Amino acid sequence: MVNSNTIAGDAAGRSASIPKYSTGIARIVNSAIYRHTLGAAVESPIGRVILLAGVPLIWLIMLHIGPIYQMLKISLLSHYPVQPGVESHFTLDNYAIFFRESLYFTPLIKSFIFATAATAATLVVVYPVAYYVAKIVKPEGRSKALLLLLVPFWAGELIRTFSVIMLLANRGAVNVLLREIGLIDRPIPMLYTSFSLGFGLVYLICLYMLLPLYSAIEKIPGQYLDAAADLGAGPFTRFRRIILPLSKDGIVSGCSLVFLTCIGVFATPMLLGGPNTVMFPETISGFFHGASDKWPVGAAFALIMLVTALIAAGIFMRLVGGKKGSAI
Amino acid sequence: MRNMVSDAPRTTLTAFYWAFILYLLLPLTLMMAMSFKDANFVAFPIGDWTLDWYAKVMQDKQFLEACLYSIMIAAASTLAATTLGTWIAMLIVADGIRGRTIIFALACLPAVVPGMISAISLRIFISTIDMPTGTAAIILGHTVHAVPFVVVMALTRLRSMPRNLVDAARDLGADGVVAFFRVTLPYLGPALFGGMIFCVLLSIDDFVRTFFLGGYRPTLPMLIFAKVQGGMSPEINAMATIVLVVTAAVGLYAEFITRRARTR
Repeated sequence: MVNSNTIAGDAAGRSASIPKYSTGIARIVNSAIYRHTLGAAVESPIGRVILLAGVPLIWLIMLHIGPIYQMLKISLLSHYPVQPGVESHFTLDNYAIFFRESLYFTPLIKSFIFATAATAATLVVVYPVAYYVAKIVKPEGRSKALLLLLVPFWAGELIRTFSVIMLLANRGAVNVLLREIGLIDRPIPMLYTSFSLGFGLVYLICLYMLLPLYSAIEKIPGQYLDAAADLGAGPFTRFRRIILPLSKDGIVSGCSLVFLTCIGVFATPMLLGGPNTVMFPETISGFFHGASDKWPVGAAFALIMLVTALIAAGIFMRLVGGKKGSAI
Repeated sequence: MRNMVSDAPRTTLTAFYWAFILYLLLPLTLMMAMSFKDANFVAFPIGDWTLDWYAKVMQDKQFLEACLYSIMIAAASTLAATTLGTWIAMLIVADGIRGRTIIFALACLPAVVPGMISAISLRIFISTIDMPTGTAAIILGHTVHAVPFVVVMALTRLRSMPRNLVDAARDLGADGVVAFFRVTLPYLGPALFGGMIFCVLLSIDDFVRTFFLGGYRPTLPMLIFAKVQGGMSPEINAMATIVLVVTAAVGLYAEFITRRARTR
């Protein structure tokens, strides 16, 4: 530590209380204002606790729990925002609407199917890549191999979505190319379908799968594989008996992360999907834009989605991970 | 006994890796290439190269204003998130704290809640405290989103910090506050810097929170969203290319700094 000398010098000087500092912090520490406020607070045990825990706890309770709590509260009201002359009362109707109307039920099911399919597809596509970087690339080259994978992710959600549009649109690259080689006469409609949405989702989220998988696979000692090979295990057996079980943590956290992200993706389905792929987030958003009267219903739906998504992720962790939430 | 591992899977995996890289980079490369094309649609070969679209974008007042607005929001929310995240991390590692796991779980909550739901709950929250939608609300939303990442990054670094550094400072007469600012904070430096860059990128990229919390002034993602909804145009390509190049440069720089700090 290069700094330790100066720190020691300042602190020793302070205990002798000779005001001979030039640094800003020392001057503040020795000022009367500091010694009577913050300095005094640090000296007392209660002051220390307040100083350490006050702001974090207020923030966590106010802004990490507060919004969810308010959403829960409003989802149980009949009217919000409250209008003059309308009495707002407690009701469970907002939740009942969801189960009554298939118009609302279907998008949630669709969202779940899509998120599950996208998660599975991402896992299958990304696993070999993560394995390659973690085990086959030499340690010196690993960070370069990873960096190459990270580049697209600095582009941001919307730009990546747009680049997928460029690729798949009727006048996009794929169709233009196919027409040039004479395989098709008319463009294949790929955009605004389930295919384009799935393609875009996988493109969007594969990093969330890559990093947990990579760190889990990297930790598997190479000797295990060598030992298994010595004992006669082929590549497939080695993969099934050693790599797969030992990378379980990475699979669990990667899949949960991807699943929860997929469920909450909002802009991409609006841009890449068509009328057949209306997802639940879009349905919910409808209650907040336009007729503001429907806020309680929107809040109830958002909660239904949150709870079902978390339960689904939890069940998955239990089933695959064995122990609860070990990876997140 | 490396040679026991046969070469066939290795070659397949190498090919797969490069195919995957191609999959990742092709759409973006295509987008960038098309921004130099003089026609209004995708076609090969590009033919006449032009910088006209860039000139057009650079004169686009809406785009420049959205850039500035996004940068301002990113700076404010990053500053707030870094301060709060570090503070929470300090609380989690402090001696004699009960309910450490609960505090940690609470700190991570916004990272687990899907973006859409987080946005809606914040929209409801600001309305219950009579806060108008707009700049302050967006900054608040982005800060909530970024705090968990700062907490995790700061915690990782704090756990690797030798205990005796702070002890030494305390023995030499520094009180808790001084020890934090002169010993812990400099030690956290590289991790926090990486965290801050991450927050900036997170904020500049965020669409859904801004969509629900924002007013009429568009941020960069909102502007791009509106344009993309209007259809393909080389102007968007140029705009997206500029944003991509700048954010990738910032991201690479951060990657470089944190790597260097880690190997030191």
